[in-house]
Amino acid sequence: MIKLGPEPVEMRAMSDDDIFSSRLKLLIIMAKAYLKDCPLGNYRKKAIIENANHVFYHSLHMVSESLNLKNDGFDFQAGIASKEKTSEEHLFHQRVQLLAVMAKALAEDRFKGHFRKKALTDNLNKICEALIFKFQIQEVDFLKVA
Amino acid sequence: MNQVNIPNVKIAVIDDDLLARDFVVTVLMYCVNRDVLSFDNGLAAWKHIEDYESFDIIISEIDVFGLNGFELMAKFKKKSPDKKCLLMSDNPANEQRARNSGADAFLAKPVSVNDLFDVVQTFVVRG
Repeated sequence: MIKLGPEPVEMRAMSDDDIFSSRLKLLIIMAKAYLKDCPLGNYRKKAIIENANHVFYHSLHMVSESLNLKNDGFDFQAGIASKEKTSEEHLFHQRVQLLAVMAKALAEDRFKGHFRKKALTDNLNKICEALIFKFQIQEVDFLKVA
Repeated sequence: MNQVNIPNVKIAVIDDDLLARDFVVTVLMYCVNRDVLSFDNGLAAWKHIEDYESFDIIISEIDVFGLNGFELMAKFKKKSPDKKCLLMSDNPANEQRARNSGADAFLAKPVSVNDLFDVVQTFVVRG
């Protein structure tokens, strides 16, 4: 038997945040695979659309929850440094939502043109920088076949 | 570069946690580019196996109602001893029990994208 996943001390039920961060990583991998011309079959397209929808709405929900807290007077983040952090988070979520829209478009064959691919690459790079996430498609052979 | 091949694999995911189950299904569907069926309890999965079709791989949470992961695995392995059964859990105590019961893999929760890529690489990909 092989064992996969975290060590026993780190095992826990999957929270909404676990699912969101895992789905976001998957969305990044999906977009990178597209940019590396990995083939897209029908089920891969379906998986991209489902994943993009989930990431988009969860990100939207996180932004609106943060706004609601502020409107309710729970603005713990007073001060310039905190405001910068809030602005960075806001920008990060805008980039994540843009990535979701781009991923959905590519799965629906609506993503044509050199500059769109460049914009996707730039957006991916910025998100990966923020997450400190590195992933090389070359490491996963099976993504190159469908 | 080795030429890899993804066969026509039939996979089922069983978990009563909708968000976790949908996540596992999305990753696997993307990796293998095939439909992946899902069930929220072991009994529904077993009924599907008996009434319609069996699977090459089942990935079941251990603590599900109807038939739990161990019970489902026992029935599945009896019917299809050469097929694969992977058990998932957030309870460390279940790992040894899964090993003793003959599971092909134990997926500790929270499951990551890389863990599921490893599942595909180990149990699906040929070449």
